[in-house]
Amino acid sequence: MLIQLTVNGETIAVEAPPDITLLDLLRDYLNLTGTKEGCAVGECGACSVIMDGRLVNSCLVLAPQADGSEIVTIEGIHAPDGGPNDLQQNFIDYGAVQCGICIPGMIMAGEALLMHNPHPTRQEIRMALAGNLCRCTGYQQIVDAIEATAKQRQGEMG
Amino acid sequence: MSHFTQPTEYVGRPARRVDALDKVMGRAKYIADYRVPGMLHARCLRSTLPHARIVRLDVTPALKVPGVRAVITSEDFVDHGLYGFPVKDKYMLAYQKVRYVGEPIAAVAADTPQAALAGVQAIVCELEPLPALFDAERALDPDAPQVGPDRTDGRHPNLKSDHMLVCKGDAESELADCPIVLDRRYFTDWQEHAYIEPEGVLAIPTPEGGILVYAPNQSPFINQGNLAMTLGLPHNLVRVIQPTVGGSFGGKDDIIYESSAQVAKLALITGRPVRMVFSREESLVASYKRDAMHMHIRLGADRDGTLRACWFRGILDSGAYASETPFTAWRASIHAMGAYRYKACDVDVYCVYTNNGYAGAFRGFGNPEVCFAVEQTVDELADMLGIDPIDLRLKNCLRLGDETAHGQKLTESMGLVECLTTVRRISDWDRKRAEYSRQTDTDKRRGIGVAIMYHGMSLGAEGADYAGATIAVLPDYSVDLTSGLTDYGTGSRTVFTLIAAEELGVRPERIRIQRPDTNTAIESGPTVASRTTVLGGNAMRAAARNLRQTLDLAAADLLRCDPQQLIRVGEAYVGPDEEAVAWEKIVDHAREMGLILSAHGKWEAPKIVWDHHHGRGTPYMAYVYGAQVAEVEVNMRTGSTQVLHIWAVHDIGKVIFPQGAYGQLYGGITQGLGYALIEQISYRNGYIQETNFESYLIPTSVDVPEITAQFVESAYSYGPYGAKNIAEPSLVPTAPAIANAIAHATGRRVRELPMNLERVLLGHDLQPPASTKPAQIALSIAPRSMPQPAGQSVVRHAAATNGRRS
Repeated sequence: MLIQLTVNGETIAVEAPPDITLLDLLRDYLNLTGTKEGCAVGECGACSVIMDGRLVNSCLVLAPQADGSEIVTIEGIHAPDGGPNDLQQNFIDYGAVQCGICIPGMIMAGEALLMHNPHPTRQEIRMALAGNLCRCTGYQQIVDAIEATAKQRQGEMG
Repeated sequence: MSHFTQPTEYVGRPARRVDALDKVMGRAKYIADYRVPGMLHARCLRSTLPHARIVRLDVTPALKVPGVRAVITSEDFVDHGLYGFPVKDKYMLAYQKVRYVGEPIAAVAADTPQAALAGVQAIVCELEPLPALFDAERALDPDAPQVGPDRTDGRHPNLKSDHMLVCKGDAESELADCPIVLDRRYFTDWQEHAYIEPEGVLAIPTPEGGILVYAPNQSPFINQGNLAMTLGLPHNLVRVIQPTVGGSFGGKDDIIYESSAQVAKLALITGRPVRMVFSREESLVASYKRDAMHMHIRLGADRDGTLRACWFRGILDSGAYASETPFTAWRASIHAMGAYRYKACDVDVYCVYTNNGYAGAFRGFGNPEVCFAVEQTVDELADMLGIDPIDLRLKNCLRLGDETAHGQKLTESMGLVECLTTVRRISDWDRKRAEYSRQTDTDKRRGIGVAIMYHGMSLGAEGADYAGATIAVLPDYSVDLTSGLTDYGTGSRTVFTLIAAEELGVRPERIRIQRPDTNTAIESGPTVASRTTVLGGNAMRAAARNLRQTLDLAAADLLRCDPQQLIRVGEAYVGPDEEAVAWEKIVDHAREMGLILSAHGKWEAPKIVWDHHHGRGTPYMAYVYGAQVAEVEVNMRTGSTQVLHIWAVHDIGKVIFPQGAYGQLYGGITQGLGYALIEQISYRNGYIQETNFESYLIPTSVDVPEITAQFVESAYSYGPYGAKNIAEPSLVPTAPAIANAIAHATGRRVRELPMNLERVLLGHDLQPPASTKPAQIALSIAPRSMPQPAGQSVVRHAAATNGRRS
C-alpha cells in the first residue's frame, strides 16, 4: 500500500506492505538506520521516534498507522549547519555515550521531554527515560546532559 | 617514580569520546545497519531439546525452498567446526549431539529473511532425546547423564575443570581453633549480558577466495584464527573487521565467532555477501551467560574480629560447553577469600557441564559471584560481634606491604584503606548506620551496607600478556593509530588517542584511530579482563615515543641543536633561538631527511608465576581496589527494595580519561544493581524462561539511584602514567553492598541472587510453573521486513526545514 508521511520535514510517499512496522519502514524502506531495533516488543526504546509531537516506540506502530503523520527521527535532529544540536553536544560533553546503540532513542526521548517540559527536575528526566534501556552508562551522564540542555535553553529564552 | 608527577597536557584532563559525534548523530553503523548489494540473509536451525542425539539431518528439502541459496551443517567445516579455548568442545554447528536448547544445528542463506526461515523450517531434523542434567551439584554423581565429551583419564566426563586452588597454611586446623566460625552457603544465578545490540555478523567473499568478516566481537584475532581453522583457509585470506559494537560486557566472544564461521561458510559457498542478525529472542536463547555458582564458605575469626581462616568451595555451572568458564573458575578461586589477611586459606573451585544453556565470559569473570559470598559473610561476622562493618574491614583488609592469601607481597599501588575511609565519609555512614539501626517503622525500613573488593589486573596466570600498537603521520599531517585491542563501547579508543597525543605533543583532534582490523592491527591477545588501558595503553605509549624520537631528531636537525635542547609550545617545536616552528614543518623536514614517520610499539606484562598444583604464587601483576556503600529502602509488606543512593570509591591508578572512567563505574554499578535485585535467567529443565526484555528485566533510569563516585589514584609503576583499570571491578562489590544494606534494614540475610521480592520478604522462592514455550516460540519468530534496494518505491518531495533547533 502507499503510505504518505512527513519524515524530518520531507514529504514522502512510499509503497510498502501493510503489515510492517514504522521501524521497518524507516530502516528498510527509507534507509534511516539511525533508529535502532533492540527488542521489537516496545521494551527497550532503541527505536524511539517522535510522531506528531509524541515519543513512540516505532516497533509498536504499524506503518499504515503512520500514514499522514509527521515523524522526526535522529537524522532530523541536528543544528542548522548539520552538526550536533545543543542536546547532542551535551551528550558528547557530559560523557553520556558509550557503545551508543541506545543513544538515538535517548536523544529522541530527551527532545520529546524538553518539548513538553522545558524545566524538568532530575527525577522527571529519569521518568521520561524510563522506557529507554541503556546497558552501558547507568544513565547518570545522560540525565546530566538533558538537565544541562534544559538549563541552557531556559537561559536562551530568558 | 618521577614520570607520575609530571604535569600532563591531555592524559587525565577533560576530553571527549572520539566516537561520540557519530553516535549522537545516528551515523554510527552497527551490523544491522549494513547493506551490501546482493546480500543474503542467514538463519540457524536451533535445538528445541536440552540434550539429544541428532539421528537424522536432511537439508535437501530446504534447498528446494524458493529463495534459499545454501544450507550448511557441521559437515561443511574442517573437523566438523570444532573450536573453543581453553577447551575445544564446541562445534560451529552441532555435530552428532545437541546439549542445550538453542544450540545451532544448521544454517540457511536465502534471498530474504522470510525465505531463510522457510528454509530452516523445511530441514528434516530428527532428535532423539537423551537423559539431561540440570543440577550442577549432581553433575559428578556416578549415575549423572554424561554431558561433557568422553575422556580417557578415568575422570568424570561432566567435570570441566577442577581444583582451582588457593592454599595457605592449614585452614582446617586454624578453623578448629577459632572461637567464631561462620558456615554459610550462597548461590548466584545466571545473568544475561543484555547488550542492547543483538548479535549479528556480515561476511563478504573476496576475489582471491578468502573472506572478509564484519563482526562485533571483542577479539577479532581469535575470530580470525577460528575462521582459518574451521574453514581451512590460510590466515592471510581471512580478514576480520570490528564495526561499531553495541555493547558486549564479555558476551560477544564465542557466540559471534560461531555466527562468523556460519555466515563465512555460506558466503564462500554462494559467492555472495551473507548477513545474520539475531532477534532479541534468539539472542537470549542462543547466547552464553554469566555462570550460576554454588558456594560454601567457612570463615573463622577471633572475638575481637580478627579474621584467621577462610575455607571456600565453589561449583560453577558452565552449562553445555566450556567457553571461558575454566578461566572464570580460576579467577573466582583467586578472589574467593576477599581482600583480607588470613593465617590460613583453603579454596577449591571446579566447574561442571550441565544442559542449562552455557556460560562464558561476563564482566567481573567469577569475582562478582564470590564477592557476594565473602562480603556478606564478613558482614555477618561484624553483626555477630557487634563491630561496625567498616571498622571490621579496616581491621582486616589488605594494606601496603601485606602478603595476600596466595603469597603475593603488595609492594605498591594499594589504595584500599583510602577507598574505605573515603566512602565512609562521603556516604555519611556512621550517622546513617546508627539511625537506621534504631528504626521501628514496620512498613518501610532503610538500611546502609558496604562491600569491598580487589580484582587482579589483566590475564594473570591465564596466559601470555602482551599488546601491540602502530602510529603513523599521514600526508595531511593527521596521525593514524591502530591497536590490537578493541573498543566495544568501553572508551579505549579515546584512551589510546589521549596517550598518543600526550607522548607526541599534538592535539587529540589531529589523531584518528582506525577500526580494529586483522589486516592492519598487531595481534595483542584478547580484549578481555579489563586489560586494554594498561596493555594497549603501554603499547600505544611505546609506539608514540618511537615516533616522537624520529620527529625530535628532525626538529633538532632543522633547529640546529641537540634534541635535549628542544622544548614544546603547544604542538610547535622551539629551539635555542626561541623561534616556534610548526609541527607540520618538522614533519616536512623529517620527510626531506628520508625518515619514516611511522612506528610500532609493543608491551609485555611483567612475568607472573602461579603454581596450580599448590595454589601459591603471584596470580596477577597487581590489583585494583574498591569500596561501595548502598543505601536502600525495603518495603516490608512487599519485599520490594529501592536503592536510594550508591557511593563508590575505587583505586584504579592514574585516571587517563576521567569522563570515560566515571561512565564505566556508573555503568558497572548499574549492572551490579540489576544482578542484585532483578536480573534472573531461569533454566527450567533446560528451557530458558526469559526471552525478551518484558521478562528479563534490566535496570531502567528510575531503578538506578544517583551515584556518587570518586577515584583513588594510587599509581602503578607498570601502568601507563600509573594507570590501572576499571571496567570489570566497577560491578563486583555492588550486589553484596546492596545485600548488606537489605540485611541492615530487615535483619534478614538473603543468600541467593537475585534478591527478588519473595526472597527478601519470605526468604524462599515462589516457583512459577516451568514452560518450554518461551524458548520454542523464540526460535520460530518470523521476520517482518527486509532491507529494500536504496531509493526503490520511495517518492521524495521537496525538503523542508530540517534543523529542529537553532
